[in-house]
Amino acid sequence: MRRYLVTLALLPALLFAYLQLSSPPPLSVQWTLLSGGAAIEFEDFQFFYATLPRAVLALLVGGAMGLVGSLLQQITQNRLLSPMTLGAASGAWLALVCASVWAPALMANYGAWIAMAGASLSVTLVLLIAGSGGLAGLPVVLAGMAVNILLGAAASAIVLLNDQYARNLFIWGAGDLTQTDWNWVVWLAPKLSIALLILLFAHRPLTLLRLGEAGARGRGMGVFATLALLLPAALWLVACSITAVGVISFIGLLTPNLARALGARRAGDELAYSLLLGGLLLLATDAIAVLASQWTTDLVPSGAAAALIGAPGLIWFTRRKLTAADHSSLQLPAGVMKLSKTALIMLALAVPATAAIALLWSPEGAGSVSWRFGWPSDLVFSLRWPRIVTAAAAGGGMALTGVILQRLIRNPLASPDILGMSAGASLTLVLSVLAFGGSIYQAGPLIAFAGSLGVLLLLLLLGRRHHYAPGVMVLTGISLAALIDALVRFALAKGSDSAYSILGWMAGSTYQTTDGKAWLLLTGVIVLATLCALCSRWLTLISAGDQIALARGLNVKRARLALLFLASLACALVTAVMGPVAFVGLLAPHMAAMLGARKAPQQLLLAILLGALLMILSDWLGRTLLYPAQMPAGAIASLLGGGYFIYLLTRRRAA
Amino acid sequence: MPMTLFSNLIRPSRRPLTGSRAFIALASILALTISVCAQAITISDNRGEHEFAQTPQRVIALNWSMAENLVELGVTPIGVADIKGYQEWVVRPQLADSITDVGTRSEPNLERIAALQPDVILLSSMQEGMVEKLEQVAPVLFFDSFRADHDNFDVSRQIFLQLARLFEKETTAKQKLDAMDARFGELQAQLKAHYHGNLPKVAAVRFTTPSVLRIFGDNSMAQAAMAKLGLQPALPQSANQWGITQKKVTDLGRIKDGVVIYIEPFEQADDLFSTPLWRAMPFVRGERFAAARSTWTYGGPLSVQYLAESITDALLTLTP
Repeated sequence: MRRYLVTLALLPALLFAYLQLSSPPPLSVQWTLLSGGAAIEFEDFQFFYATLPRAVLALLVGGAMGLVGSLLQQITQNRLLSPMTLGAASGAWLALVCASVWAPALMANYGAWIAMAGASLSVTLVLLIAGSGGLAGLPVVLAGMAVNILLGAAASAIVLLNDQYARNLFIWGAGDLTQTDWNWVVWLAPKLSIALLILLFAHRPLTLLRLGEAGARGRGMGVFATLALLLPAALWLVACSITAVGVISFIGLLTPNLARALGARRAGDELAYSLLLGGLLLLATDAIAVLASQWTTDLVPSGAAAALIGAPGLIWFTRRKLTAADHSSLQLPAGVMKLSKTALIMLALAVPATAAIALLWSPEGAGSVSWRFGWPSDLVFSLRWPRIVTAAAAGGGMALTGVILQRLIRNPLASPDILGMSAGASLTLVLSVLAFGGSIYQAGPLIAFAGSLGVLLLLLLLGRRHHYAPGVMVLTGISLAALIDALVRFALAKGSDSAYSILGWMAGSTYQTTDGKAWLLLTGVIVLATLCALCSRWLTLISAGDQIALARGLNVKRARLALLFLASLACALVTAVMGPVAFVGLLAPHMAAMLGARKAPQQLLLAILLGALLMILSDWLGRTLLYPAQMPAGAIASLLGGGYFIYLLTRRRAA
Repeated sequence: MPMTLFSNLIRPSRRPLTGSRAFIALASILALTISVCAQAITISDNRGEHEFAQTPQRVIALNWSMAENLVELGVTPIGVADIKGYQEWVVRPQLADSITDVGTRSEPNLERIAALQPDVILLSSMQEGMVEKLEQVAPVLFFDSFRADHDNFDVSRQIFLQLARLFEKETTAKQKLDAMDARFGELQAQLKAHYHGNLPKVAAVRFTTPSVLRIFGDNSMAQAAMAKLGLQPALPQSANQWGITQKKVTDLGRIKDGVVIYIEPFEQADDLFSTPLWRAMPFVRGERFAAARSTWTYGGPLSVQYLAESITDALLTLTP
């Protein structure tokens, strides 16, 4: 009870302070306005139609996010679940980008419903992928992450091809609470009223769910029936909030964890307290955003502020309290047991064959476009080969990182993008551009390496206590990815073109590569792959389990460190040259395993070949499909890889 | 004769140069240099000086402001990046139908550019990273027209004149710029007459959403146009690269006696303009608010004339 009293006392105090932030009228006038008096001066109007609705909206959205977070986490018994990790935001974002590019009229009138449709579809997709069995642990979070990357890549590709149209969306994307009337409050408030129903009726089924699925069923309650009622309600709240204020991550994820840390134990208690706390948190975050906007004279979106505070907060609050379910991994289809020679030879031939096609076959011509197969002119050759080499080396490098990580962490979904290594490299690059200006392509590999090494150190620091449990690793990845996302959107919302070049770079393009960079990357990846092949015994032993490795006389600690160092080096190299490349690191090792490469050296070789193949293909498609416009290879790889990944996950469910 | 001399100079000659041979060599080099100098056009861009032996015929512009400059000079480029976008956002001056689209502005298609066999490729701000690659194809001129540390409008005039020299259109350029200056005077006279010599302070903005807008501050093309019209900024913003600062719509409330001009398009205009807060803005209450027709705000010098024209037209609709 004391907790509620303190929080309830804090709320009006914070609200009062918040209302005094942006040139308010005198207090007496404020009181008159609040009690129904007419606004006269402009300050009065600003107070009543801008500051006040913004505060109310912050409370509403924050409360809704807190409640939804708590609801989702209680239903699934998964403390990592939130609207953000379920992919709602990326779905809404993609839908809005599509609508504003292809149907601007529809966008102006029905933007809200479009966002809602997008959010609903993406969350449904994530839930379908994870399945009811995967809701409790990492699988759903990883599925959400994968869908986020996939949809994000699609949105970036569309934005890059239609830049001027999509620019105004970035402010919404960055999550901005700025209001000019009560319209959004009036729109949102009744739609959120369903939250009261949840508060009143959800605590009983949630309490029963804590007994476990069997226990709940014993008391006459179907888990699926509860899910079928509560999940759409949660989704509705999320979709409405996103539509109104854009992407504000972390509040939904952080609030329930904070509520539990502050002592909310019972189901109903956690729901109610999360609602209260969520509103308070978002109001406080938004106050920081408002102050920052005044201080920097430039607009600081609330979403960016929330992510900046939330990302470290998330790691802090959940680092000790990982449940067994957080460590469960996701099984993907197994494929054949033994690697056939034919498959290996075919693959070894496919890489040069695809490279040859990429080099020789392309649309040509200025007026009428026709496909031409043949040896290119010297000039065209010198333009094409660095891109093909860069793509191949990047694919190989990411695959190498993926094999190491999946074997070390013993989770088939571990990959540089999901663990936040690419994100770390991107973060330092983006920060350096935001701080010092200039082009991100000239920022260089050293800065990227500092970033991915930083993430590695963080992982080691956080992971030591948990023996590098997947939960901690994935958490770091999610936090960093969201942090970067917020930073990039903040930069984009500023509307400067350097931010725009960051977006292009984030999509992972071979466009900016040079002869020198191509050779550097290729040599680097070959050296690292050789080193890794030399330590493939370590990989075999560690992936069999620490005990077995120790019994065979391996210094597990050192071997793990050395291998992680290798992985982060490869990842930083690729990221610095062509931007964060998603999915290749996740899928190539897995596809290798499906083809029967069970032993570490085999998997390494096969995965690198597959990674190279996928990237060469992506780069070629990106160059040729929309000729003369081009799509970044990374975006195509994300689309191909993400599609294939989702296909794999649904096949796993069918099996 | 010159050919053999050159090959002598390039390859180390086995025979020592005798006095008379050396003199002939020196003299012919001198003659050659002088004759080249008479023909060559030296253009300085942000990377240094570039010599062109003759006026380039086949030109590719990878940036809209460069394309605009070419059209204004009466040069038809063979390739421009993102033509569809140009037609939508820049509009004026129109591009000829014969021009080939060479892809997006951030990643133009190098192979198509190569296929067009250009004599020169023009780049502008944010495209510096492509220089090295494009130089494999043709000579490249990179003009960093928008920077925080120079006057964008001044520099845009210089760039325009440089391009005029390169394409031997200096008379056209001078005429256009003189006409522009005269036009500024005309427009200012119209405004002065309309406002009885007492010109209002003006804030030029572009809305991005019903709650957020960009103000054109110091170093923006819109403010350059305003300065030429003798208009003071109503909500001054310090200079930055593009001269734009993002603000909340409510920040406009600080404008007590100035005029607000917004540059179209703004699709959600109805959503904002019907709100009580908007109607309470001092400049809305005082009917000192008007729309200026869609004009490109990041173009070359002539775009400033178009901005001045649309801003003037907007101001003339208001009662002083």
